[in-house]
Amino acid sequence: MSNVTVTVNGKSHTVDVAPETLLVELIREKLRLTGTHVGCDTSQCGACVVHVDGVAVKSCTMLAMTADGASVTTIEGLANGSALHPMQEAFREHHGLQCGFCTPGMIMSAVDIVNRKGSDLDEHTIRDELEGNICRCTGYHNIVKAVAAGAKAMKGGAKPARAAE
Amino acid sequence: MALEMSGEYDLPQKREIVWKALNDPAMLEKCIPGCETLEKLSDTEFQATVKLSIGPVSARFKGKVKLEDIDAPNGYKIVGEGEGGVAGFAKGQASVALADEGEGCKLTYKAEAATGGKIAQLGQRLISGSAKKTADRFFENFVEALKEYR
Amino acid sequence: MSATGIGAAVRRKEDQRFITGTGNYTSDISRPGELRAYFVRSPHAHATIKKVDTKAAEKMPGVAAVLTGADLANDKIGGLICGWAITSKDGTPMKMGAHPAIAADKVRCVGDAVAVVLAETLRQARDAAEAVEVDYGVLPSVVDPAKAAAKGAPQIHDVAPNNMIYDWHLGDKAATDAAFASAKHVTKLDIINNRLVPNAMEPRAAIAEYDQGNDALTLWNTSQNPHVARLVISAFVGMAPEHKLRVIAPDVGGGFGSKIFIYPEEVVALWAARRVKRPVKWVSDRSEAFLTDAHGRDHVTHAELAIDANNKITGLRVHTIANIGAYMSTFSSSVPTYLYATLLSGQYAIPAIYAEVDAVYTNTAPVDAYRGAGRPEATFVVERLVEVAARELGLDPAEFRRKNFVKSFPHQTPVIMTYDAGDYDASLTKAMDLIDYKNFGKRKAESEKHGKLRGIGFSTYIEACGIAPSQAVGSLGAGVGLWESAEVRVNPTGSIEILTGSHSHGQGHETTFAQLVSDRLGVPIETVSVVHGDTDKVQFGMGTYGSRSGAVGMSAIVKALDKIEAKAKKVAGYMMEASGDDIEFKDGKFTVKGTDKSVGWGDVTLNAYIAHKFTGGQLEPGLKEGAFYDPTNFTFPAGCHIAEVEIDPETGKTTIAKWVAVDDFGNIINPMIVEGQVHGGIAQGVGQAMLEGASYNSDGQLVTGSFMDYAMPRAADLPSFKVDTTVTPCPSNPLGIKGCGEAGAIASPAALINAITNAVGHENVPMPATPSTVWKAAQGGMKKAAE
Ligand code: FES
Ligand code: FES
Repeated sequence: MSNVTVTVNGKSHTVDVAPETLLVELIREKLRLTGTHVGCDTSQCGACVVHVDGVAVKSCTMLAMTADGASVTTIEGLANGSALHPMQEAFREHHGLQCGFCTPGMIMSAVDIVNRKGSDLDEHTIRDELEGNICRCTGYHNIVKAVAAGAKAMKGGAKPARAAE
Repeated sequence: MALEMSGEYDLPQKREIVWKALNDPAMLEKCIPGCETLEKLSDTEFQATVKLSIGPVSARFKGKVKLEDIDAPNGYKIVGEGEGGVAGFAKGQASVALADEGEGCKLTYKAEAATGGKIAQLGQRLISGSAKKTADRFFENFVEALKEYR
Repeated sequence: MSATGIGAAVRRKEDQRFITGTGNYTSDISRPGELRAYFVRSPHAHATIKKVDTKAAEKMPGVAAVLTGADLANDKIGGLICGWAITSKDGTPMKMGAHPAIAADKVRCVGDAVAVVLAETLRQARDAAEAVEVDYGVLPSVVDPAKAAAKGAPQIHDVAPNNMIYDWHLGDKAATDAAFASAKHVTKLDIINNRLVPNAMEPRAAIAEYDQGNDALTLWNTSQNPHVARLVISAFVGMAPEHKLRVIAPDVGGGFGSKIFIYPEEVVALWAARRVKRPVKWVSDRSEAFLTDAHGRDHVTHAELAIDANNKITGLRVHTIANIGAYMSTFSSSVPTYLYATLLSGQYAIPAIYAEVDAVYTNTAPVDAYRGAGRPEATFVVERLVEVAARELGLDPAEFRRKNFVKSFPHQTPVIMTYDAGDYDASLTKAMDLIDYKNFGKRKAESEKHGKLRGIGFSTYIEACGIAPSQAVGSLGAGVGLWESAEVRVNPTGSIEILTGSHSHGQGHETTFAQLVSDRLGVPIETVSVVHGDTDKVQFGMGTYGSRSGAVGMSAIVKALDKIEAKAKKVAGYMMEASGDDIEFKDGKFTVKGTDKSVGWGDVTLNAYIAHKFTGGQLEPGLKEGAFYDPTNFTFPAGCHIAEVEIDPETGKTTIAKWVAVDDFGNIINPMIVEGQVHGGIAQGVGQAMLEGASYNSDGQLVTGSFMDYAMPRAADLPSFKVDTTVTPCPSNPLGIKGCGEAGAIASPAALINAITNAVGHENVPMPATPSTVWKAAQGGMKKAAE
């Protein structure tokens, strides 16, 4: 066992972990932040995506020890207090989720896409960039809409516009 | 079985010596890739532990290696089967034939392999590559070890 | 229409917790002192169990117990069952083999559990599982349903000779034979409906806890129908009496049918928790899910369509072999029979139909209902046949369909169903307009200029949903009634809790059910909450599947609301010293007819509880009503999907250029949610048609057992969809709802394969139509064209 110190959602934690502990296990089991999900065992589904030092990472593929000293943001830390992040708001507004299981990973990936590709995203880019995230419920149609709208809202720093009914 | 392979090798030794080597547990232990232990149970049966990894699954397989259809010094069939616990099982067999060729001899083999359980489930796309590589490695090791074999 | 009432695209109430990571899925729950369970599973498809040696594993660090099938049998824990009795042609009952939760004598598929390890941590349990030694006697196996009943095939269950569970039939054989004898044209097809893995993104999970003091058990599980789970685990498995077993299905991350069924792992968790007197938690990993979740489809079918000189369909003949897998899952027997053959009339007036279905055991995972369940298979048969027939006869596939549509309602088909309402012309016409069918030729020519093939394909599907009238399903062999329950609890301050037997795992009931109440009672939607998924809170319910929550679950709420309104009127009557019969209720206000005397909702609810004004002792205090609703008929959603594809004949790559769906779901509560259901359904259907296929090798190993090998639809595989509706209200329930959950998955495979075969000019394109399959077909089509 060895000590790992990580800042998760702005709060520093020092945790004793076995060397083979995955970051997702640390987050879910040690810190009890269960918004980050596990949907597979072959790093294919993206349900576990979190940000490590500002970059999207599949937390099921990273050892907890490698995150020593890093700053991690999970879905629980994305909102600013009670004010939702524009990407969260966009997913609700555009019905980008059904069962909600893929949603935390989707939202974390979506924010990362905007960070990397800017806020003017066409459908093709969004679909390509979501390659590592699987959703079984939505058929992606509304996720794509939500990401595009969320991206725009992130740029404006404003809430996403209400979708046309 | 799920998978078939074959190959041939020109060996630098006389057929009788190659045959002896093929029946020598120490030789087999040295040449079976990942072989950790090989104990002789009888002249034709061995207990083996082999560490194998295929794709994301790696496991220690415990099982038996048997020699069948022995036709000294022309060839035999080597049959192995091992259980790897949660990882599943692996089994394979190779028919080996020897023929004189110039100063040395020619070895031809025809092998089949199959896996089951997790190793089959997760490693499927990699199995044919891995099996072929394992077979090649065995015979490469064998050719190499034969050089000093008396 | 109010902003939150029926018909409004209200944003979902449940989303707040899902987008902030505060949902509560089973695997998120952790009970004090819990042990983690890990199953030792068979790597062989078929083998006797000679010995299970747990000694070494028991000594490993952290291990509390290692339990086997023999332990389970010693404790007299019963096996799992299939709850729908099907009778063979000769009148004999179906042949159901035993299904112990942990195998004791024999394993019948890869993944069959042979032992379970309970340890302090998951890692310890997994390590100890390595040390469990199982001695198997490997037997030959069979995985192909077409070979399972052949002479000399390995025998899987002793009770089912030749692995035959039943050979069942439906319809009039003589009349159908006569139709074929006098047919002008006969179209024949051989179809394989590929096996699918449901793969809800949340893997199954179970946590069991034993309360020694009360000798009671609690199970948290990923269930679509917790009450049915409790009933089966109590009455058939014999775990505990129903009142000593509480089942809670909290947030559930998708089901698509696969979470209807009762699975071995939840039985084992309960039994183990009571044995070791500590909570036991099991969470499936994806690899286990691939092996142990019930799969879907897997039919081998030969079908023939008879057509007369006027291009009217006169008969349909179908023979299907259905793969049931190694064990009969909870509803497996009903899927290829009453959920399949009863829909073979499609949207068409077909005078004679005869269907035969052989259900067989194989050494594969159990097969049961998966989104659509039987109806996608039926639609695929009918819509492929009709499309191919039109092509063979040189007719426009849309016009050939239109000519044969059912046009007057109610319509009695030769296969049990009575269609109550619909307008198939309307949805076809609207879909053709939306996809601009007129100009398809131009688009095709344009594609050809660029060396591409373009094709268009229709699917005018029908489904039977709103499952189902209890008397009808009872007469067909169902072991349960398929009504639904609701309870409406009005609090003194006027807020409302709706307790429903339906279960939401993505469908948005917390929103749509609240919309119904808000609309009906004129109260703000924020004051309504929906309670579901807990057998201690909701008395009983049948759960969510078969697109039934709207048509059946909401109808139960309507019935309970009727009672609430009647009672509230009486309360208002006492308050205003008028007879309850003279009270009118509108927009949340109670008014004495013909006067301006009125009281508001909140006043009435408070008075219902303080009861100060109830004179004469006639009226009970309180405001809470329950209802059970049993539908009078199935509902019949129907519609038209049209797919347009472009194919690169050099690579076989298929691009979906356009997708139009026009569905008739009857009245709609929340169009945003309905559209979402259609999108998701289409994606699963496109997955079946182009990407997904579970395949076992001849040794019974599942070779598509991970997301690396089983192609799940990803964002880039799909287009955006154009989704619209037509409306004929359903006459069989008070809300006029038909249901929308399965339509997309039912309609889409046929539309896509019809489009691809149209493009390549070759009918032999098996699913999934991967690039190599399409490439081969395209080459074949070009050769045919050249001849
Ligand atoms: S759980 Fe990390 S990618 Fe699936
Ligand atoms: S919303 Fe259910 S998996 Fe995406």
